[in-house]
Amino acid sequence: MTDRPREIDCGEAAEKLYEYLDQELDAATEAAVRQHLEMCAPCFQVFDFEKTYLKFIETRARAQGAPESLKRKLLDQLFREGSAAD
Amino acid sequence: MVTFQRAFAHNGRDGNCKHLALRIPHLSDDFRCRSAMTGGDDKRRAFEETALPHLDAVYRFGLRLTGNTAQAEDLTQETMLKAYRSWHQFRPGTNIRAWLLTILRNNFINEYRKAKHRAESVDISDVEMRSVFHDVAETDPEGKFFEQIVDQEVLDAIDRLPEDFKEALILSDIEGLHYQEIAEVTGVPVGTVKSRLFRARRALQKELFEYAVEMGYIKRSTL
Ligand SMILES: [Zn+2]
Repeated sequence: MTDRPREIDCGEAAEKLYEYLDQELDAATEAAVRQHLEMCAPCFQVFDFEKTYLKFIETRARAQGAPESLKRKLLDQLFREGSAAD
Repeated sequence: MVTFQRAFAHNGRDGNCKHLALRIPHLSDDFRCRSAMTGGDDKRRAFEETALPHLDAVYRFGLRLTGNTAQAEDLTQETMLKAYRSWHQFRPGTNIRAWLLTILRNNFINEYRKAKHRAESVDISDVEMRSVFHDVAETDPEGKFFEQIVDQEVLDAIDRLPEDFKEALILSDIEGLHYQEIAEVTGVPVGTVKSRLFRARRALQKELFEYAVEMGYIKRSTL
């Protein structure tokens, strides 16, 4: 992209907030949002807050994994599947 | 359910297995040895390397959908076995995690949710959709209060979301799927995924904020 990103207002930035944070925007729109955030401190703060929030959810909810006993059971079962087919 | 026996357990860890060189560190020693002994295990190796690393994600999704660890374990096992048996249907280059979670979700809907009705969750249709940022702009604009909220509190709040919203949030924010992948897993248009995700995130945020206020982690701004 050689053109400058088009200008967007706070309303449009707010509308694109999650898509921006999720990296789901096309390159041109993403550039437009980024440019807005560089110039607009209030929007930047909201985006930053929401980014912190999403990171927090991910960290908290991913703390838990499958129990070790389940992993072993599964490996056993896969082996039985395999030998049945051989 | 199939019963699980350690019938094939052998003494690999005692050093008697001839196939120690084939062991991969993150896998069960027994399992690697046994695989090697059976031979012809390309499919199993591919499955181990590609699918098994997502076991935690599969289990977590199962746990959130069923709400109990015993069912989550059964569902996880069934999912992984089904995936193994249908391994030829997995298209390389597509997201394996999305594929596994789709299998789990279909299994859940067909086998576990049969008679269960969908409505014991909170209604989020009236939730105000502005960011909690505006409630804490004066007191905690960086959202440090989040750090004080423990894992279980977050999981419980996620569980109280209506099912469709909960699903979108889990698949995106916990398991990292793209909108398009979530749309495929849940069988709805991308636009629906976006709006569900938006509502789910804001409703959850609001809920956690109210909890934090209640616990005294944060004061509501008076603005
Ligand atoms: Zn702005």
